[in-house]
Amino acid sequence: MQELLNQEKSIYLQIREMIEQDILRDILLEEERVPSTNELAKLYAINPATAAKGVNLLVDEGILYKKRGIGMFVASGAKEAIRKKRRERFFENYVKGMLTEAANLGISKEELIEMIAWEQGGNENE
Amino acid sequence: MSEKILRAKGIVKKYGKQEVLHNIDLTLEPGKIYGLIGRNGAGKTTLLSILSAQNPAASGEICLGEEPVWENPGALQHIFFSREISPNGAADSSGLKVKDYLEMAEAYLPKWDKKMAEKLVELFHLDRKKKTMKLSKGMLSMLSIVLALASKADFTFLDEPVSGLDVVAREQFYRLLLEEFTETGRTFVISTHIIEEAADLFEEVIFLHEGRILLKENTQELLEHCIYVSGRAEEVDQAVQGKELHHQETLGRSKGVMVRLREGETLEKTEGITLQPVNLQKVFVALCGGEAG
Repeated sequence: MQELLNQEKSIYLQIREMIEQDILRDILLEEERVPSTNELAKLYAINPATAAKGVNLLVDEGILYKKRGIGMFVASGAKEAIRKKRRERFFENYVKGMLTEAANLGISKEELIEMIAWEQGGNENE
Repeated sequence: MSEKILRAKGIVKKYGKQEVLHNIDLTLEPGKIYGLIGRNGAGKTTLLSILSAQNPAASGEICLGEEPVWENPGALQHIFFSREISPNGAADSSGLKVKDYLEMAEAYLPKWDKKMAEKLVELFHLDRKKKTMKLSKGMLSMLSIVLALASKADFTFLDEPVSGLDVVAREQFYRLLLEEFTETGRTFVISTHIIEEAADLFEEVIFLHEGRILLKENTQELLEHCIYVSGRAEEVDQAVQGKELHHQETLGRSKGVMVRLREGETLEKTEGITLQPVNLQKVFVALCGGEAG
């Protein structure tokens, strides 16, 4: 939750990703309360409505849930749900960009596969 | 906390023969932080002073709920405009000390929170015995921030509250503001030239340009609708065809332009072009910088 905000992306999307990241890293545990939108707003010096927008995206996805009068909690199974979601986007977010840049540079598919295999092999040799 | 809306209808303001505000309509909802952004001389201070009935309009009306606010103490107790305090302002005020300002605020503001004021005076290390004409610009800003926050008015306007403040004091102010806002839900309108730092505080931004409201929009939505497109000129032109364009720049074969998408419009990402998000300061410059798109 202590990452810095940048200007690359909407603030509320960054709030969502930071909460996701904290769940993946076990900084926030399932069935545990997450900071309130007011707490997030004060921490990041952002409007509470913006913080709420980020949190609500996670509520809509079932990763967080509301306990009336108490606050927001991490749903059970949230960690697996985030991993599944990120795996589905992995191609879109990472592989596609890599392929475009490889094409720009004239790197062939074979060369790419070789690089990945070499990197993994290299780690084994160390 | 009042749930009333503050509404300006058809506000025109003239100084002598010069009309500085042209037929302004503006609605301020309770429980929001608004950023009022405009160039020097756009009319920000005049607008805030009219909204708070410190200054008469040539025509038009300001209403809190259904009630006109002009010469209406019942409505005006909910509205406070903390003006910039000028060190060499009116001759009759230059001899005033910090504590005189605090005493005046206590006498005139029905919801004045003395405890909070004292806490803030201490936090900012303001010397109560010092004459305001001897205060630095930053200290004057701090005093006007104290008056604004401790006024507890439902609608509180701050004019350039961070001017002259160093970066630590500015961040301190943003946090104090958010603390007060999250606790009370008061409405704040804040004019500022330091756009980027404060952008994330504003639920909505109001661009005032040459005496007119150019836009009033949710900050995050505005930013999502503004995209910088660049690449080979023909491909950029094709991608942005029919869109609202601002600030076009061409260099050789390449071109960059800011697109402001209308509701429901989208921009297709193609191989040869780059799409980038734009920050609020850039949006402001593109829209109010003078060069028509």
